[in-house]
Amino acid sequence: MIGLLKKKEWSPYLAGTLLGLVYVCSIAAAGIIPGASGAFENIGGLIARAVHPELVKNTYFRFVMPPGITTAVMMLLGIFIGAFISARLSGDFKLQSVPDPQWKRVFGDSIWKRWLIAFLGGIVLEFGAGIAGGCTSGLAIGGGLFLAPGAFIFIAAMFISGIPVALLMYRRKY
Amino acid sequence: MSEMIFSLVMGSAFGFALQKAGLSKYNKIVNVFRFTDLAVLKFMMTTLAVSMVGVFALKSAGIIALPAIPATYVVGNLMGGLIFGIGMAAAGF
Repeated sequence: MIGLLKKKEWSPYLAGTLLGLVYVCSIAAAGIIPGASGAFENIGGLIARAVHPELVKNTYFRFVMPPGITTAVMMLLGIFIGAFISARLSGDFKLQSVPDPQWKRVFGDSIWKRWLIAFLGGIVLEFGAGIAGGCTSGLAIGGGLFLAPGAFIFIAAMFISGIPVALLMYRRKY
Repeated sequence: MSEMIFSLVMGSAFGFALQKAGLSKYNKIVNVFRFTDLAVLKFMMTTLAVSMVGVFALKSAGIIALPAIPATYVVGNLMGGLIFGIGMAAAGF
């Protein structure tokens, strides 16, 4: 058991089973569908309200994603803690300035380039999640498990745009 | 309050599973779009299957009621998904 917890990498089937149980627990015990992207909107709303209150006076922040420290924010915080515990247990934890070997092979050593793409990609990703009503966790899995059609439209769309983008970025190295 | 702590614990288990599956790494995320490593899909589909069986078993046994199910609005899900995919493939997160 301890050996398993210390293992660097689990089979995706085992890790997926654990996450599936998390969904069951969370839905059964509290009626909460786990998600990650909503938390950024809750925090973003808080910041916007502090900087310029007019920004959050609209339907979206009033009804869809109210600003505040919600359960989603706690869950996001937990994701960091859980991943940290996992990495520490397996001795996998290290600080690094991001470009990992695969990125370096294709796009070179520049750290700034990596950070810029990660930052811009993050904005695009979160914007998309806001429009779709969730991300891979909240919509694709959280909706998919109830066979909500939106979840499967989202998963398909994610690959329809993700594959050409990867193709464009990697070109001949695809 | 207890709901907050519960979410924190659930989130920790969530993060633990993600890290153990290696999904905190750039190459795992981007390679699913290159079809060289399908760990993301294996992970996602396993989660779907397990949670589906678990939730509906509990519902059929009359132990739980279903929460509000994420809404389907075709244009939003589709456009959002397309934009999301661009960010995911580019950033690799």
